[in-house]
Amino acid sequence: MSALSTEQPAAGVPAIQVSDLHKYFGDNEVLKGIDFHVDNGEVVCVIGPSGSGKSTLLRCVNLLEAPTSGRILVEGIDVTDPETDVDEVRARIGMVFQQFNLFPHMTVLKNLCIAQQKVLKRGKAEAVEVARANLAKVGLADREGAYPAHLSGGQQQRVAIARALSMNPDMMLFDEPTSALDPELVGDVLAIMKDLAAEGMTMMVVTHEMGFAREVGDKLVFMDGGVIVEEGDPREVLGNPQHQRTQAFLSKVL
Amino acid sequence: MKRSTRRRLRHGSLYVLLLAVVLVLGFTLDWSSVQQTFFNTEGLKHNWHDLVVTGVKNTVIYTAIAFAAGLVLAVVLALMKLSEVGIYRWLATVYIEFFRGLPALVTILAMGFGFPIAFGWRPPGGTLGAGLIGLVLVAGAYMAETIRAGIQAVPKGQTEASRSLGMSSGKTMTWIVLPQAFRIIVPPLTNEMVLLIKDTSLLAFIGATVGSRELTNVARDMMTSGASAGTATSLTMAGVLYLVITLPLTRLVAWMEKKQRRAR
Repeated sequence: MSALSTEQPAAGVPAIQVSDLHKYFGDNEVLKGIDFHVDNGEVVCVIGPSGSGKSTLLRCVNLLEAPTSGRILVEGIDVTDPETDVDEVRARIGMVFQQFNLFPHMTVLKNLCIAQQKVLKRGKAEAVEVARANLAKVGLADREGAYPAHLSGGQQQRVAIARALSMNPDMMLFDEPTSALDPELVGDVLAIMKDLAAEGMTMMVVTHEMGFAREVGDKLVFMDGGVIVEEGDPREVLGNPQHQRTQAFLSKVL
Repeated sequence: MKRSTRRRLRHGSLYVLLLAVVLVLGFTLDWSSVQQTFFNTEGLKHNWHDLVVTGVKNTVIYTAIAFAAGLVLAVVLALMKLSEVGIYRWLATVYIEFFRGLPALVTILAMGFGFPIAFGWRPPGGTLGAGLIGLVLVAGAYMAETIRAGIQAVPKGQTEASRSLGMSSGKTMTWIVLPQAFRIIVPPLTNEMVLLIKDTSLLAFIGATVGSRELTNVARDMMTSGASAGTATSLTMAGVLYLVITLPLTRLVAWMEKKQRRAR
């Protein structure tokens, strides 16, 4: 573990600070110099057309994608520094995927406990207690013995959120969390995310849910072609977009 | 000619051909010799239990050893093959291609006779034990490819979810990927076991004590000595015993594959 990891983040240090981030897939430049930050307790929503690089940006924050160049600081720790213990940083960042990615060979409860036990070294009793509390929070206390295949998509995504929360993360990343859900199941997941935001959780959300972005987001980022085109207060950006590309995109989705 | 007529003619001629073959065999073969050679139960009455008590027992033991040790070796090879370090990938590829490219018998003979001399250590079971090491080397090479395919069949999202929770690559492999990979590869691995059961017969080429002979070896000895000497009936019986072991396994594989397809 690096010496840095044990230090408390200094007050005023942003939860996520990205500077001059470039990412290539082969010859294809997906991120073309991103500067951006998420403050503690802030909810930042990232929107943009598919292929704009918004998911790649999110996945760079916890190094699911390795940046080609640039710096990413998580609570002041440079995750692109090879000396940094990436596992230790990731344990403090909750991640929720479009495809839920629950572990199909484990019960719901085990899904929530495995990383607590293997990473945080919590005892079984403590892990189960934390897991049950988080299951109750997402309204699925009665499904702890079920396997993921027996849950609806909305339930699976709520379990996935509870799984991330069971690690007591400092911040949460959401990668299009409702895009794979049937329309009638979207509301439950968004409601849980809204509750989280109200509790003061730091959140970075890649989404197509403009309503959520407007209502819950503290900041809205519009990306297109690998760059941040426009960012600001969600109501401002959605109501009165300054840039022509933002206007074109919003006219299609709103 | 109408299409249906032509088809009926073609079918008819195939039946005629079959009948001709049966008739020719029926009249030209000396059926009593065939029966005397392959189905002479008279001599076998006295020593058939050697086939089961010694032969089948040792075949099962050698298969179990080779499968278990081969599986461990195969997991290591599969992980090497998927490693980010080029030299590991290269070593695993060379190993797998090498032992899959050789006849298993060559490896078994080379190990059986060469291993104790080359390494100055006699494994338990002597020459036979050393031959068994050869079988393990071959089994590992075959199963490695199966396991690699199983690991790669686990969706990437599983690894990503696990790593995002802070689990290291080793923990992710142990707790998330391998358990799911093994579920996928149980049918092909069972097939590998069937091949291995049959390959233990190659150990018959290696000297063994009376009590450590596997099924083929016992059957071969019974052809030349004892009550059933002079006939091949012991081999017929051995064949039946092999089928008693392998057929249920291949049926099991077919059943598992059908179930997996339905689950998907």
